[in-house]
Amino acid sequence: MNKKSMWSVKFPVAAFALIPAGIGINYIGKFFAELLKLPLWLDSIGTVLSGMLAGPVIGALVGIINNLIYGFTLSPISYVYAITSGVVGLVAGFMAYKGWISSIKKALFLGLIVGLVAATVSTPLNMQFWGGQTGNIWGDILFAYLSASNAPLWLASFADSIVVDVPDKIVTVLVSYLIFKGLPKNVTQMYDNHSKIERL
Amino acid sequence: MRTMTIYVEKDSMIHNVDPLTKLLFVFVSVAMTYILPTYHFIIVVFVFTLFLLFVGKVLNYTLPVISVSFMLITSIIIIQSLFHPDRATPIYDIGPFTIYKEGITFAFLVTLRIFNMICAFGLLILTTKPDDLVQALINLGLSAKIGYVILSVLQIIPQMIRTTDKISDAQRSRGMETEGKLLTRIKSFIPLITPVVLNSLNDTLERSIALEIRGFNATGKRTILNNPTPYKYGLVFKVLLLMLLVGTIFWRVMI
Repeated sequence: MNKKSMWSVKFPVAAFALIPAGIGINYIGKFFAELLKLPLWLDSIGTVLSGMLAGPVIGALVGIINNLIYGFTLSPISYVYAITSGVVGLVAGFMAYKGWISSIKKALFLGLIVGLVAATVSTPLNMQFWGGQTGNIWGDILFAYLSASNAPLWLASFADSIVVDVPDKIVTVLVSYLIFKGLPKNVTQMYDNHSKIERL
Repeated sequence: MRTMTIYVEKDSMIHNVDPLTKLLFVFVSVAMTYILPTYHFIIVVFVFTLFLLFVGKVLNYTLPVISVSFMLITSIIIIQSLFHPDRATPIYDIGPFTIYKEGITFAFLVTLRIFNMICAFGLLILTTKPDDLVQALINLGLSAKIGYVILSVLQIIPQMIRTTDKISDAQRSRGMETEGKLLTRIKSFIPLITPVVLNSLNDTLERSIALEIRGFNATGKRTILNNPTPYKYGLVFKVLLLMLLVGTIFWRVMI
């Protein structure tokens, strides 16, 4: 078997079975973050981890379907952010396959990039749908401060998103990285789309 | 046990409408409130959505759905009325802050839009069984594999929550602290989540074997186990909704 591109859309069955598991992990991450009263959401660990395990396309699918299902079960607002989640999975998967999870320093950088990208994608959505805010206390206080000092709306909104997304995504990627490194080989190889190993 | 869906089993006219028509209604209703930024118009759309919720006998189930977005709405009302970029006409002073007319108007508009969005989606999700919606989407051309993925999530998450309870009990009995300082709580996040992740990844192996045996990757035409019940008037409603949308766009362009 030839080495396949990471953009290939022909997945092993295990990769399809990974999507629901990834969404479940997202949900559990959020659940534990609330249980431990952590000041972060940590609701995209499954998206990032699936991206690391099975590549950008599966990562993006986990992100998008995750928000569609959240919208269908918990809060309709999350439909709006389906694009953001998709891009988070895409970027995490792409950079992981390019080798950005080989050390903890690189993983931190990956987290920073994912956070910045998430903030960039969310900003126009926040501006279009609710005048630029995120609903997170710390981000919105910064938004209020910047608006009060007459900063342009996009800047206030972008700063609001950054304060919310960057720390959350850095911790998310770091946790995913620690879990990923701890996984046994036979688990990680199951979803690998570009390995030469004979698989199910 | 917490179930994943908030579908309410009732017998009403709305429950018997084609899921795709309801989906189109959500889209048209949300789009209309963003196309025309006059609040009289949005109130009409919103009241109509509420009326449909009432006809569907699910109006009192809508409040918990709205309360999830309570933080966002409160924050919008407070911050926009104080700091809206076009603020010019002060109407009231609270301490060092001033409430502006432009801000209040804008916050009112956005809040109405959010309420309408939540209620329109609420109409879809409170009166539609997820299976029916996914089936309708598959008939429309959604890949059956993606359909499987969506529906299986609804089964897997309650299963994972049960595992979660077991694991947090086990870790607590080993002496892990889940309360106290922030650092203590951060430290216990990893030992809580790692077993759940490993568990669910292991389950995917079993699930993929089961899927492979049942021909998940098989090509060829698929047959349906449960023939969907035919819905009445689907086409009429869809045409009406599209006419409303086009009418709104036309109105927007004209004024």
